[in-house]
Amino acid sequence: MSFIEVKNVSKTFKVSRRRAGAIGAAANFFVPKFEKKEAVKNISFNIEKGEAVGFIGPNGAGKSTTVKMLSGILHPNSGEIKVGGYIPYKQRKAYVGKIGVVFGQKSQLQWDLPVIDSFELLKAIYSVPDDVYRKNLERFTEMLDMSGFIGQPVRQLSLGQRMRADIVAALLHSPEIVFFDEPTIGVDVVGKETIRAFIRELNRQDGVTMIFTTHDMRDIEKTCRRLIIINEGEKIYDGALSALREMYGTTRRLEVAFSEKVDLPGFENVTVENLENNKKRFTFENNKVQINELMNRILGEYNVRDINISEPDIETIIQKIYTKKEAEI
Amino acid sequence: MSLRPYLAYAKKIFLNRSAYRFDNVMGIISTCLQFFIFWEIYKALYGTSTDIDGITMPMVTTNFILSMGLGAIFSPDDYFLPSKIWDGSIATEFLRPISFKGRMIAENVGNALFNLLFRFLPCLIIALFTVGVNAPASPAMLALFVLSAVLGFGVLWTISFAVQMTAFWLINIWSLITIKNVLINVLSGSMIPLWFMPRELTAILNFMPFSSVYFTPVQIYLGQLSFEEIMLKCGIQLAWIIVIYLLGDILWRKGQKKLIVQGG
Ligand SMILES: Nc1ncnc2c1ncn2[C@@H]1O[C@H](COP(=O)(O)OP(=O)(O)OP(=O)(O)O)[C@@H](O)[C@H]1O
Ligand SMILES: [Mg+2]
Repeated sequence: MSFIEVKNVSKTFKVSRRRAGAIGAAANFFVPKFEKKEAVKNISFNIEKGEAVGFIGPNGAGKSTTVKMLSGILHPNSGEIKVGGYIPYKQRKAYVGKIGVVFGQKSQLQWDLPVIDSFELLKAIYSVPDDVYRKNLERFTEMLDMSGFIGQPVRQLSLGQRMRADIVAALLHSPEIVFFDEPTIGVDVVGKETIRAFIRELNRQDGVTMIFTTHDMRDIEKTCRRLIIINEGEKIYDGALSALREMYGTTRRLEVAFSEKVDLPGFENVTVENLENNKKRFTFENNKVQINELMNRILGEYNVRDINISEPDIETIIQKIYTKKEAEI
Repeated sequence: MSLRPYLAYAKKIFLNRSAYRFDNVMGIISTCLQFFIFWEIYKALYGTSTDIDGITMPMVTTNFILSMGLGAIFSPDDYFLPSKIWDGSIATEFLRPISFKGRMIAENVGNALFNLLFRFLPCLIIALFTVGVNAPASPAMLALFVLSAVLGFGVLWTISFAVQMTAFWLINIWSLITIKNVLINVLSGSMIPLWFMPRELTAILNFMPFSSVYFTPVQIYLGQLSFEEIMLKCGIQLAWIIVIYLLGDILWRKGQKKLIVQGG
């Protein structure tokens, strides 16, 4: 039995179809029209204790909905969810004390109170023992560099500061499982790096099991080995991040700077582009073209000043997967 | 179950309320103003007569100061759940390992305590020095008054609780809450003392939940009820609390399954 088990889970929302204009508004009042919106369709996955799993997909894919079901907030329409032996939405009160959730788009802090007062309130709510609270607070504020604003009311914090405070707020009770739903949204490069390092340490050092939702693939690369991709409510990939590269990242790009102007013959399965300064770019799939053969031919027959080979970055691969899925439908 | 989280919530709301000093001064003024307006109206109605149907002006005065004072104490936050459903913050509320209903009660109790100290008492003192208030019929009646007032708060709270639960389906329940409050204001005797309602209506009102909120405690305070009557009325209050609470609880259970979280 896995630590987190999700089996054939679906969630449907009822959305009202609004007609436009004044007459439409009147029509809506007397004859409301409803439509079913399948936010999550028959999703299954298992996660083991101590794993860190990236959970990605385009806007509206159903990520937040899944996280809300895993947190016991929303009831699935069908399917089964089990986390650490609990059924989240049925045993909510007992269950939520064991988990931490960060919603990047929703603050859990008290708007009017200084950050530290919100923390004290959470300490009481979760009945965190004094020593654990003090230890966690000290360690987290240090790691996330928060001492400068911990006494300020939340409404006076910048977005990045608020986000760091929100992350600490979700962890004060030392949860074994944490769901991060876009914890880096709106955070600058340095801030993101701090948060990533923090999350990584939490996973590697403390063995916290986590699901990490984001639109920034570098977040995932820095923290997770495994990746789940969903699109339009369906799971379309579940596996190692590195395997994704092998499956979809087969495109290679070779840039060669020649010493003089050259005329090249055509190469099979390779597209060649001319760049400035006698430079040429060769693009090909590494499962169709033998890279050492190609290089041998170029290096053997011409004078080469510089050579550089690159593989696609993960963003490009993800983009390819998202759009491919849409093309299939 | 530990009480600590709930006390923390009660304390938080108490501190939050104390932070706004200007608002508190205005609150006291508005409660007193409301009282004096009603008092003037009834004084004019009484004119030179000492009593109407055996009800004297000091009794009317006492009714108003007590029912409006209690009204100032018992102000359950009708938008507690609706506002959280409206802005989606219900999601974070459901992440807390505590009873949502318990937390709702805790915040209301914290609020009531604040109102008792910073609304009711100042207004009572002002009234004592200006128009005068009848003393309680006896110390025993004063104790029973407090008991019945607490039960009245229970009735008011359960009504608010049950109405709020409809927000799971309706999302925006502003109009429903307004209707509820009009009914309570008119039928509970806080605007028109129930002594002056038509007999037939009073007979019905006696068994409705509303009259028991303010009017029963006031009658007890003035010594108008025998011990048996008090027990009956408090019994009715308790029965309403149980009935309305159970009704609200059914909605609460069903509503959680219906819950939608607005916003990403
Ligand atoms: N309260 C709601 N009522 C109706 N439909 C909803 C509601 N919440 C979400 N949806 C719909 O469900 C789908 C999935 O939404 P969800 O918030 O899970 O997406 P997401 O993957 O988190 O997207 P994003 O990356 O933009 O945060 C969307 O099409 C959205 O319109
Ligand atoms: Mg989302």
